[in-house]
Amino acid sequence: MKPLLPLLRICLILLLFLTGGCWDRTEINDLAFITGSAFDLTEKGDSLLSLQFAIPSSSQDGGQGGEPNKFFVMSATGKNVSDAFEKIQKKSSRKLFTSHRSVIFIGESLGRKGINDVLDVFAHDPHQRLKTYIMVVKGGEAKQVLEAQYPYDQVPMEAVKEMEAQQSEVAVTLRDFFMAASSRGIYPIMGVIEAESEGAGQSKTSVFRLSGAAVFKNLKLIGMLNGYETNGLNWLKNHMEDGRINAELPDGKGSVSMVVAHANRTITSKVKGDQIQFKIVLQAKGPLFENNSNLNVSRPQNLALIQHSLEEAAERQVQEVIVKLQKRYQTDAIGLGRELYRSKPRAWQAVQAEWDRKFAEADISVDVKLSISSAGMAGPPLQLNEKEIMN
Amino acid sequence: MKRFKKWMRMQPKFPSMAEMSPEDATPIELSSALSQNEAMLQDIFKCCSDIVFRQVKIAGQDAVIVYLASLVDEQIIDDHILKPLFESGIELEQESNPIGAESINKQIISAGSTKLASQASEIVKQVLDGFAAVLIDSDNRVILVKANGVKHRSLEEPSSEQVIRGPRDGFIENLATNIGLIRGRLKTARLKTESVILGELTQTQVVMTYIAGIADEALIEEVRKRVSRIQIDGILDSGYIEEFIEDLPYSPFPQVHSTERPDVVAAELLEGKIAILVDNSPFVLIVPMTFWTGLQASEDYYIRWPIATFVRWIRFLFIFIAIFAPSLYVAVTTFHQEMIPTNLVLSIASSREAVPFPAMFEALSMEIVFEALREAGVRLPKQIGQAISIVGALVIGQAAVEAGIISAPVVIIVSITGIATFAIPRFNFASGIRLLRFPILFLAGTLGLYGIVLGFLCIVLHVAALRSFGVPYLTPLGPITLSNLKDILIRAPIWARGNRPQATGMNDPVREQPGQKPSPYRDKLK
Repeated sequence: MKPLLPLLRICLILLLFLTGGCWDRTEINDLAFITGSAFDLTEKGDSLLSLQFAIPSSSQDGGQGGEPNKFFVMSATGKNVSDAFEKIQKKSSRKLFTSHRSVIFIGESLGRKGINDVLDVFAHDPHQRLKTYIMVVKGGEAKQVLEAQYPYDQVPMEAVKEMEAQQSEVAVTLRDFFMAASSRGIYPIMGVIEAESEGAGQSKTSVFRLSGAAVFKNLKLIGMLNGYETNGLNWLKNHMEDGRINAELPDGKGSVSMVVAHANRTITSKVKGDQIQFKIVLQAKGPLFENNSNLNVSRPQNLALIQHSLEEAAERQVQEVIVKLQKRYQTDAIGLGRELYRSKPRAWQAVQAEWDRKFAEADISVDVKLSISSAGMAGPPLQLNEKEIMN
Repeated sequence: MKRFKKWMRMQPKFPSMAEMSPEDATPIELSSALSQNEAMLQDIFKCCSDIVFRQVKIAGQDAVIVYLASLVDEQIIDDHILKPLFESGIELEQESNPIGAESINKQIISAGSTKLASQASEIVKQVLDGFAAVLIDSDNRVILVKANGVKHRSLEEPSSEQVIRGPRDGFIENLATNIGLIRGRLKTARLKTESVILGELTQTQVVMTYIAGIADEALIEEVRKRVSRIQIDGILDSGYIEEFIEDLPYSPFPQVHSTERPDVVAAELLEGKIAILVDNSPFVLIVPMTFWTGLQASEDYYIRWPIATFVRWIRFLFIFIAIFAPSLYVAVTTFHQEMIPTNLVLSIASSREAVPFPAMFEALSMEIVFEALREAGVRLPKQIGQAISIVGALVIGQAAVEAGIISAPVVIIVSITGIATFAIPRFNFASGIRLLRFPILFLAGTLGLYGIVLGFLCIVLHVAALRSFGVPYLTPLGPITLSNLKDILIRAPIWARGNRPQATGMNDPVREQPGQKPSPYRDKLK
């Protein structure tokens, strides 16, 4: 027995390697990289899962024989998400790999029915990324967005990811959505995307368009906001980054616009008996971007005029969203309830149960304070001669 | 392991000196009869075609000059033995009483280094060392005249440690010259050179040098002990000595620093270390060695310190790349695909589409091919060397990728790793690093990043436990000595360098007057 002992030890050590993980090894070309998923509602009421896969094409044969496909889409229906996923796996020679998925699309009809059933799978499987963007597809099927032939980027979904990363519209990740959905006093929103085609005939290409935000209440899509309203909502949610404010000057003098470089939002709440009052102060700072009037903006009084009309325009924009959320959707997507919970927990306790109604009845006033930090390169418009310029 | 050790130890008993070369060992006194002595030497040197017995007559007495023509410079024998002998021979012939060896040595022979001996073994030994023996009738003493004349190559820039700025002389195969190169840099009588003869047949002179007062007494004693206990038939290079005196022979990390540069030896001696010079070897050993020695080039101290610091950090980075780059690639692409950015993972995947082998096999085979290329390049004559680079770059690099046998990222990774290995300044240290790459690669291919972490831990534990002549290998980082880190994390300016390393130079720690930072206002402030 004794001479066998060292041999036994070596075997045990080797076993450690063999059992420890060698079988988890998957070569990179045995994986099917999922770049995007889409959930739709079929006419029968089942949920349809579509997955977009990237085709890793060899760069050498790119030159000949037309544009090779950069991706393909597979779909399956199932009782739940993993059932459908399993069906797609059976169609695929490679192992489905979800960690590189950048976007999840929800079809509008499924959104209206409720997305509770498709969300849970993302919370359990560790291969799912919580930083995946989640969006609603406006009109039509979500699958269509996956099938769009987008000219840029190796995989179209990377393009959607980049668009979202610019943060010009609403960019909501799974993590944001889960946080908002599970918080008190706030309802989650999602970005909205539309597939569009540019050009006609042969040169027709597909593009995507980010178009506003979708408001969810109890995990059901309750309504959508257009781009103009979304901009206002972003400001209310303190997500104003690189936004623009456009305004018409009084007496038809022309239009002006400014870029918001720094924005700040403060909410103060007051509870007066049954009535809850919110005072929202929005402050923003930024340069003047466009001046279509004949005003010389290097004059302080002209700048004050412009500033005033911009403030009014912004206020109108924000008020419009508030009214829509309060009266039409009765959904607190801004998070005013959360603000109340944070500043006056006792008051929140009292209204928590009937917050939807209380929010709809709340008195919300908005005060916008803009400061134009610079008038840009030129004071008066350069294309006008001196006599036309109003000083 | 036990069996392996037993196999390593499997060797017959070492023969005693007498068994190995009886003629060297027998302490025979010479007789005073010349013919008898000559016959004995003839017998010892029989079948040696280069032995010369030159019969001369000194003042009427017979004499024989014995030397090995291959070892001596005949010019010295002509000028310093024969010529004075013949010139004075006529005068001496007048005298009646026979002249002894001692007076010939003192009065006639004009060579610098001579001695008298009367034992056969001593004479044989010296003749074999390039001495000419002058045997005189009726005297049992022999005059030994140093007439060494083996040709050596001239001082050249060492090819293994080239510098852009710094001294360009390197050690050669002659011990005396080598010691001279060190003495030329350290002109102090405190530079001690202790000599030992090792190798029963090679009789190689091994010299241990240190600066008395700086080097630690215990360390000197330890080196003396380890060197003198070597029993071997021959020592052909300092590499033999290195393997006999290192602390942990099974480690991939060298524990003895070897260099061809006298300036490096001088610098290390000044830090209290001990150098071992071996005759016929241009590589000088320096002990104790630390991990950081492997990452420091002599040029670091000759260029300005911010640049030297930057270069050192580059080396720290590259030692990691040299060990872990192929393993990281294999681990990430076969176990942790989620770690790679999407666009990168797609381009790696597309380059691997046609490749039939697993990533680990791919990386391993390319690493082996690279090692073969490197090894072939070392041995080849310079003229064919170019062919190797063409074969390596074109055939293996480009063609293998185009044929779809190997993916392009692997070729890139292997080349970066190769460059990283060459960026490590000490060659023997880099070799150890190169060796470590393969087990880590295997770990990465079986266990992924977990395996790499395991491998890294093993390396760190091993290096932390390693000692060279009692000095921890990671000194001064572990155990930490803050003041000495000035020469590890950065290369502090010479005027801010402070004390000698705590591990070796604590006998006399102060190196320089503090506060020598140069400034145009220095004198005014005083």
